[in-house]
Amino acid sequence: MATELPAGVQGAVDTALASLDELPESTDRGRGRGRDFDAPAGWRRVGRYLLLALVSFVVLFPIYTTVIAAFKPSDAFFDHPLLPGPFTFDVIVDAWTAGNLGRYLFNSLVVATIVTVFQVVSAVLAAYAFAFLRFPGRNVFFVVFIATLLVPLEATLVVNFDTVDGLGWSNSYIGLAVPFLATAFGVFLMRQVFLTLPLDLRDAAAIDGVGHFGFLWYVAVPLVRPTLGALALFGFLGAWNQYLWPNLIINETEMNTVQSGLRVLSKSNLDQPNLVMAGTLVAAIPVVIVLLVFQRQLVRGLTAGAVKG
Amino acid sequence: MFPSRRFLPLIVVAGVGVAACSSGESALESGVDDVTTDAPVEATTPDDGTTSGTDAGTDTTAMPTTTVAPLADLAPCPTEALDAAAGPVDIVFWHAMANDLEPPLVALTEEYNASQDKVRVELQNQTGYESLLDKYINAGQGSRPTLEQFPEYTLRSIADSGTTVPAEACLESSSFDTSTFVPRTLTAYEYEGIQRGMPFNVSNPVLYYNRKMFEAAGLDPDDPPVSLEELRAASEQIVASGAAPVALVLDSGPDSGGGWFLEQWFGRAGEPFADNGNGRIAPATEVLFDNELGVELTTFLQTMIDDGLAMTVGDNPGGQDAFFKLADQTTPGAMTMATSAALGSVIAALGGGLVPDLGPQDIGVGPMPGPGETPQVQVGGASLWIMADKSPEETAAAWDYVTFLMRPESQSQWAATTGYVPVRTDALDLEPIASTYANDARFAVPYEQLLSGVNDDTANAPVLGPQREIRAETSRAMAAIFGGADPQTALTEAADASNLLITSYNDRN
Amino acid sequence: MERSDRTKRSRWREFPLALLMLAPSAVILVVFVLYPLGRAVWLGQQRCDNFGGNCKSQGFGQYVDIFRSTEFQNALVVTVKFALITVPLGLILGVGLAVLADKYLRGIGVFRAVFSSTVATSVAVASLMWLFLLQPSVGALANVSWFNSMFPSVKDPGWLQDPGTALTAVALSSVWAGLGFTFILVTAGLQGIPRDFYEAAAVDGAGGIRRFWSITVPMLGPTLLFVLIVLTTRAFQTYGEVDLLTDGGPQPQDSTTTITYFVYGQNSPIRNDAGLQAGAAVLLFLVLLVLSAIQLRGIGRRVHYGD
Repeated sequence: MATELPAGVQGAVDTALASLDELPESTDRGRGRGRDFDAPAGWRRVGRYLLLALVSFVVLFPIYTTVIAAFKPSDAFFDHPLLPGPFTFDVIVDAWTAGNLGRYLFNSLVVATIVTVFQVVSAVLAAYAFAFLRFPGRNVFFVVFIATLLVPLEATLVVNFDTVDGLGWSNSYIGLAVPFLATAFGVFLMRQVFLTLPLDLRDAAAIDGVGHFGFLWYVAVPLVRPTLGALALFGFLGAWNQYLWPNLIINETEMNTVQSGLRVLSKSNLDQPNLVMAGTLVAAIPVVIVLLVFQRQLVRGLTAGAVKG
Repeated sequence: MFPSRRFLPLIVVAGVGVAACSSGESALESGVDDVTTDAPVEATTPDDGTTSGTDAGTDTTAMPTTTVAPLADLAPCPTEALDAAAGPVDIVFWHAMANDLEPPLVALTEEYNASQDKVRVELQNQTGYESLLDKYINAGQGSRPTLEQFPEYTLRSIADSGTTVPAEACLESSSFDTSTFVPRTLTAYEYEGIQRGMPFNVSNPVLYYNRKMFEAAGLDPDDPPVSLEELRAASEQIVASGAAPVALVLDSGPDSGGGWFLEQWFGRAGEPFADNGNGRIAPATEVLFDNELGVELTTFLQTMIDDGLAMTVGDNPGGQDAFFKLADQTTPGAMTMATSAALGSVIAALGGGLVPDLGPQDIGVGPMPGPGETPQVQVGGASLWIMADKSPEETAAAWDYVTFLMRPESQSQWAATTGYVPVRTDALDLEPIASTYANDARFAVPYEQLLSGVNDDTANAPVLGPQREIRAETSRAMAAIFGGADPQTALTEAADASNLLITSYNDRN
Repeated sequence: MERSDRTKRSRWREFPLALLMLAPSAVILVVFVLYPLGRAVWLGQQRCDNFGGNCKSQGFGQYVDIFRSTEFQNALVVTVKFALITVPLGLILGVGLAVLADKYLRGIGVFRAVFSSTVATSVAVASLMWLFLLQPSVGALANVSWFNSMFPSVKDPGWLQDPGTALTAVALSSVWAGLGFTFILVTAGLQGIPRDFYEAAAVDGAGGIRRFWSITVPMLGPTLLFVLIVLTTRAFQTYGEVDLLTDGGPQPQDSTTTITYFVYGQNSPIRNDAGLQAGAAVLLFLVLLVLSAIQLRGIGRRVHYGD
């Protein structure tokens, strides 16, 4: 495998990468050319802002009340639920320690990372095979792959539990991750995107003696970076949000993920109802951060799959 | 966005087909063609508890003899094996003590681990009995812990599973002295004549009430209602005087108002909940709660609701809704029945200032109100079970830990801060429980009502295979009754469903 | 080299490499999706004891029995009702929000971020937030006097406690949680509509509403179909919300017992029989299969895939 691409191929790759970066980042389509349906002015503008503000309030309402409750001491619990009370970090700290949230967040992070990495690698490999390789039975294999999308998680849980338990993987990171290491949706997505790469690129590379793995690593992957990013993000979020599976296989309290940890917190609390709220907030914050950082990937990825259908 | 015209008729037909499709049968009848029913076994003593009544005070028959399971056929308990063990034996204990109940257990376990070097106990908190059971059932041989805490309603299903060492074997092998135990706590966990588990955390239903509201209504806050008539009278007074808009807060959850309390009331009235001596003489084949007593009790509650004296908070899934209703800021309730195990948490919550105007001293605790004048309760809570198929050292180690938890000192410590009851009488004179009972009479209520009443065959809870599912059925019936349904119909429906559950269980286990 | 030899060799030439590349995904999918499904299908016609042992085959007629049983039918009805609330509502609100925010205004990014924020919530987080809102005694909504006077039932008996409103309340929490996802998707879809269409239509005198229905909706076709499928599948797999909010719903109607909750919930009558659980789970799979087929063929055909 060559460690650098032949000049011709490299040139083509660079051009493609450059055009990638030109993809419209902003979600605005430019100022209206005197038409007010795109950039309202005057009363319509004010009205629009008001409407946006009202809807925002409604959408944010549950989060707002949660934040208020999480920072109130329990003796201010029954004071007006919509107004902040005497500010205190105590409840958050309590939720963190009593709810062992630090450990659970760490567990979730490890599992989600394992799942993300494995999903991306396995999906890229499989999608490459479906997009660029020719072999008998390719279509059949692909249909079987996609067919697994129809099988809901619930139908496979009980048997999966037996499998994982039989392998001795209950209460372990690998056990938490293993049913989710492959993603048929990811394969579909990546194959879709691979198919949009110009054919000549592959042919030129083949002529210049670049093998499959070289092409994959130096050409295909860089060109599909946005979709790859979205796939990684989905994988991470999906693994992070798993609720049913951790509840099933974890019986050592230290190994709970943050979702099953939240269930523990909710079912066992009488003293401090706002403890659960604080725990919820703590559990949600890492995801918010991840999403803020990766919001471009999220939009790109959702576009690639949906618009083209 | 409308389905294409070609598919519309197909969808309509499918919909009609599906709608007409219900067989009217329960999912439990799937697959099997006919369900066998066994005839109830006759009790070997004259008493078979069919008196519908309120007072069982004159009945002094001894516990009927049961068919005793041969101990030799069950897993052994080699308690001497611990002496031969080379190094410290590690055992795992699955428990369900959540929230405020956990620290005392942790403290006791740390004390045990520090006091000797033959056994090291690792605690795993499974948060609730249901999760614990689910995990236990799903776990294979290798993943099961050495020691587990099982709730009282699983006595039969765990005993039937054959996966545990009967405590009887350990008691014999180690000659453990149980003479100072409260007899009911031991008999509660006997099945087929053999002690199966060791009682650890014993709770029972008590009445929690707002003392300030009692005072405002002109009632004596130190004299809570005990009989159903008194309960009604007190409620009328509370509502009439305006002390509270709602006097009694009910719920229909399986582990409280919808299931557990019903069993308790039958026990108090001295009537069997199920046949075959409440399922203790021989496996139960049917439930009996749709009889006169059942209708009487549920009608009483329904009338209280209709007369505006009581209300229901529904299924109470978190176990907290009834308490929250007492803390409600606009339409608070005055009284509710709940497990004594929550007492510690309630006091802690109020102590933290959670509810404005309600301090920890403003909540009173009284015995469970019910049919008859004498308080009487069945043992609730959970017990400890050692798993079979572990090495002799592990089994012996688990038993050693169990005996530690059974010490009067441990029981005293355990009961002092939770609302659980010490299982042995010689724990009472020890600190800290001695002071607790002396200074705060509320903690003593569940203990006293455990000792009172008559030890007949209804003194202990019914033993049913699918008991949790049966409680879900009675919970459904209670919810319907609270909503205005006819008590007899609702109870009979629940009884039919329960009997189906029982036959299904008996067929498969 | 003979042409037939070359083609024959080249047909299989890449096979080993393909197998190697497919292996990681394939192994996981076979072991954790296909095999469990097959085994569940077999298990679904057996009845087992409490501990999942002693399973006895009853014949595949058991599937019909389970399907026709009152509990499963109830769960099916509940799940369908749930989907009928969450899917249209989710779609309409998602499109509504996207269209609302699809203007060039200063600070529109902030509003867009707010509308997408619920994508950060998991099932557990969203459900617990709504549980806190809806609890009749200590919940936020019950203690806000003006809300209480508008909707007295939030306190008495409580939206989650009343069999008539419980499912809607759970559905609300689910719709809210899905808003961000739908919003982002539809917004991305809106970006793909060329502005010239709108300009041309405006020149021809078409008003805002007319432009929306004639241009926006058809052009959003593929996006909306995708959202529809995702929302429906999610609706049919609802478990966490029910587990945290109502434990299967106010009795005795089991108003919120969805099919998944019927299989795995802690008050379910079939929780002690692994055979029945597997059977019900496989039936869920079949229901989803039929649903996907209907959606793809019935609606997918009318979707405009663009120029």
